[in-house]
Amino acid sequence: MKKLLLLFIMLWCGAALLGCTAAQNSSDQDEENEQPTENEAENEGENEEEASDDSEGATITYWYWADNSEYSQLMQDIIAEFNETNDKGITVVGEEYPWDGGGYSETLFTAAVGGGGPDVASFKLTSTPLFTANDLLVNLDDFINNWEDKDEIDENLYNVMKKASGTDSIYVMPWNTQILYVYYRPSIFEEAGVEVPTTYEEFLTAIEKTTMDTDGDGTTDVYGFGMRGATGGHEPWGSFIHGRGGSFDELDSEASIKGMQDFIDIYENGYVPPTATTDGFNEIIANFKSGKTAMTIHHTGSSAEMVETFGDDVSAFAFPAGEGQWTSMGDTENVIFESTEHKEAAFEWVSYLATGKGQEDWTIATGNVPVSKTVQQLDHFQNNKFMKASIDGMPYAGIIPIKDTTTEWISTIWPNTTSAALLGDQSAEEAMQTLQEALHEE
Amino acid sequence: MKKESLLQKLFMLYLPISTILIFLLFPFYWTFITSIKPEEELYGPTVTYWPENMTFDSYRKLFGEFNFLQPMFNSFLVATITTLVTLTVSVLAAYAFTRFDFKGKQLFMGLFLTNNMFPHVLLLIPLFAIMRSVNLLYTPTSLVVAYATFTIPFSVWMLTGYLKDLPSSLEEAALIDGANRAKAFIKVILPVLMPSIIATGVYIFIQSWNEYTFAVLFTNEDTRTIPVTLKNLIGQLGVQWDLLTAGGIITIIPVCIMFFFAQKKLIEGMTSGSVKG
Amino acid sequence: MQKKRFNIWPYLLISPALLIVTFVVFLPVLEAIFMSFQNYDLRRPDKIAYIGFQNFAEMFADPIFWLAFKNTVIWVVFGVGLQFFFGFILALLLNQKFIGRGLVRSVSLIPWATPGVLIGLMWKWIYDGNYGVLNDLLMKVGLVDQPIMFLSQTSTAFGSVIVTIIWQGIPFFAIMILAGLQGISQEMYEAADIDGATKLQKLFRITIPSLKNVIFITILLRVIWVANSVDIIHNITGGGPSYSTQTLSVYIFNKANVLDLGYSSSMALFLMFMLAVVAVPYLKNSFKEGTK
Repeated sequence: MKKLLLLFIMLWCGAALLGCTAAQNSSDQDEENEQPTENEAENEGENEEEASDDSEGATITYWYWADNSEYSQLMQDIIAEFNETNDKGITVVGEEYPWDGGGYSETLFTAAVGGGGPDVASFKLTSTPLFTANDLLVNLDDFINNWEDKDEIDENLYNVMKKASGTDSIYVMPWNTQILYVYYRPSIFEEAGVEVPTTYEEFLTAIEKTTMDTDGDGTTDVYGFGMRGATGGHEPWGSFIHGRGGSFDELDSEASIKGMQDFIDIYENGYVPPTATTDGFNEIIANFKSGKTAMTIHHTGSSAEMVETFGDDVSAFAFPAGEGQWTSMGDTENVIFESTEHKEAAFEWVSYLATGKGQEDWTIATGNVPVSKTVQQLDHFQNNKFMKASIDGMPYAGIIPIKDTTTEWISTIWPNTTSAALLGDQSAEEAMQTLQEALHEE
Repeated sequence: MKKESLLQKLFMLYLPISTILIFLLFPFYWTFITSIKPEEELYGPTVTYWPENMTFDSYRKLFGEFNFLQPMFNSFLVATITTLVTLTVSVLAAYAFTRFDFKGKQLFMGLFLTNNMFPHVLLLIPLFAIMRSVNLLYTPTSLVVAYATFTIPFSVWMLTGYLKDLPSSLEEAALIDGANRAKAFIKVILPVLMPSIIATGVYIFIQSWNEYTFAVLFTNEDTRTIPVTLKNLIGQLGVQWDLLTAGGIITIIPVCIMFFFAQKKLIEGMTSGSVKG
Repeated sequence: MQKKRFNIWPYLLISPALLIVTFVVFLPVLEAIFMSFQNYDLRRPDKIAYIGFQNFAEMFADPIFWLAFKNTVIWVVFGVGLQFFFGFILALLLNQKFIGRGLVRSVSLIPWATPGVLIGLMWKWIYDGNYGVLNDLLMKVGLVDQPIMFLSQTSTAFGSVIVTIIWQGIPFFAIMILAGLQGISQEMYEAADIDGATKLQKLFRITIPSLKNVIFITILLRVIWVANSVDIIHNITGGGPSYSTQTLSVYIFNKANVLDLGYSSSMALFLMFMLAVVAVPYLKNSFKEGTK
């Protein structure tokens, strides 16, 4: 019995030791990672009168995701350059998080709600209502009004940011945008004898005509259009709805239903790959790059690899007008968290990304559309056919109404309802009814 | 022992085992092939079963530019500690559950079980807050604690099962011989239980080696584990097949090598020599 | 052999395990129970209030919930059932003597050792309707002449993800049962040999009865694990197309991800309840002969 008791005491000691190590670790961690908090605590006395000076020597944590490993490196380079060149001694610590098909936003939210989030993070506009409803984001109004570069960014963009929060205030800092346009293969167009469509009707015809059986074996070899039926597909889909005069506000209107019917017809007639119901970004790009589809809808983010694959045999046009016209504006922003102790320093960093050197470096390397007017004027952006298609689309580019229901609508309701309609389990009307109710549920 | 004919062995052993192995290993083979294929070939018009142009670039990139060793080390650390902690506390608990009769036994066993029935995703927000309040956030310890919570109930149940199936005559004999419980446990039960401990350990190790949901929240750049690093390779602009599959291969291999050594112990039960099928 | 007087030892022995487990899970589970009676939707934090059983009422009226429930039953029955079947066979095979069995044993572990992220992507890639190797193989063998859109149609999508979970779970059963096989006394087989028993008789009269507890427990634990698993479905289909591959756990996950925690918790409690219904007979059974 005694031996057993001894063994037991040893075990508990072991556990206690483990606990101590843990505590030790975490206090180390405190020093390293929560430096802002500690600094602030120490400096509280001195800083009370001159709160604006708090950016001096501050360390801020920045969370971001990278769409590929080159962008990851690029971001680290931009951060390094900022740390070296900013005159306030601000140090940004970049932490990469997985995009995880949008799971990034949930991770960010959980951390922020749990009190362990970063000071600044890259952000998607659709999450704005969730974060503002829980008072997590810093109101940027005062910062922007006092900002020398305020007019560098188009007024319209600020309005989009305001609308997303459902208030008159700005909580998210513009960074870059992506405007969707149609990629097409000139060689396939020539083979099928079609011109670049100028109206929505012509666009539908072009999809039909470019669907071809090139080797005569009775099966389709080239599909007219690469349709995205998985999550994220609502963006190109929105253009079809608007092409018939419908809108996101009235998805159950006759015009919207007609647009949905077009979408279904294209699928049922076999003008798109049969995998369309579950095709996501990966698949539509792979299908286009392998020559399986003649057209697909995406933004400049993929233009570099398109040119790499096809050289001159790839071009783009803006989504043509029907009874209405709309194309989706994708977006990436930055936000500052209410929990940060260094709002000033954080704003220095997000403005560096919005209009400073960070803007130029990032947009040139990634091919995203800059938000800074000065950067937009650079030759690099003026002489690019894909950028031109983006800029052509700008006047009628929009975003899906951002409500607190939007995230769920995008991630599960739209893909499942649309695939049900494509597969014939639901009529266009039923599907649109579901989509309308889910998006505008109060 | 009868000698089996070759034909019999072929149908009873080699054929079924190769069929199952092909099913189990083909996806792994395919992962490997994908990792050494250039991208054009991936989406080419014909599916190739061996790359026409082999490239090991992805592996070089992974260790060169990408510093894949850091997350590997982190994963290894977390998985090893979790395994040791879990096994120690679970063996004790399982012993108590099988060799003692006490009040609330059923309740405690049930409690352990319900713990595993609860979806992880609902634990995230409260657990994050707990980790923060005890200052464990972004340390490997936070992962060990989180993982142990789920591996302990599992291991207690597994080991309870094994212990019950063990013939208790051995231990009783030792007890009659005058050995005390602790001695009987260490000298008699532990060696016999070793295969089961190894098997449970393998489970714990793999579970902690591959976990993503907690890992993404409780780690930062310095303490990242493999699954998070792998997931970083899937962005909005698609999957980096080459790096991802290469990373996957590199993740799987150490586990297999470790198991190769562990499996010898797995079949070295004291009571059993070779078991005929 | 136990004395009936109070014995502190068992409590001491289980206390470390209990401590760690309750430390982490106790509060969150309690919180979930409270949340399930509120419209706890963090998208609308101002409106959170107690609403009684409204979540449950909504849940029982939700056709997507019932579809998910049906899918969960299929997922668990076929998933775990076939994992066990093949895993058991594999364990028996791996227990025999043959050249290179150490190597075979360790490579059989591969599916289980593969990270969930990669499992999802690789199988999606294998099933792919345009470039997938499975279609290519089937066409080469001549079983089909048109590629099958495994994941893009409701008729085949769920079956495809079930095959994947089977693939992943076989090694689990194989290893666990293989370990159990080592505890069976050799003498029993020798005695049976003397009686002239056939292999099959030995399997059903000796092997299976001796492994009773291990088989029970592995199946029970695996049922719980599979019923709660999210990552394979999440990474392959995300629950689509048209909700055809959405199980309860995936539905819970999706709802929790959009921060509708009240509804999500209600479903989680329902799932726990269903699993408890399955587990109780096990619990009872395992304690009947537990005390010798």
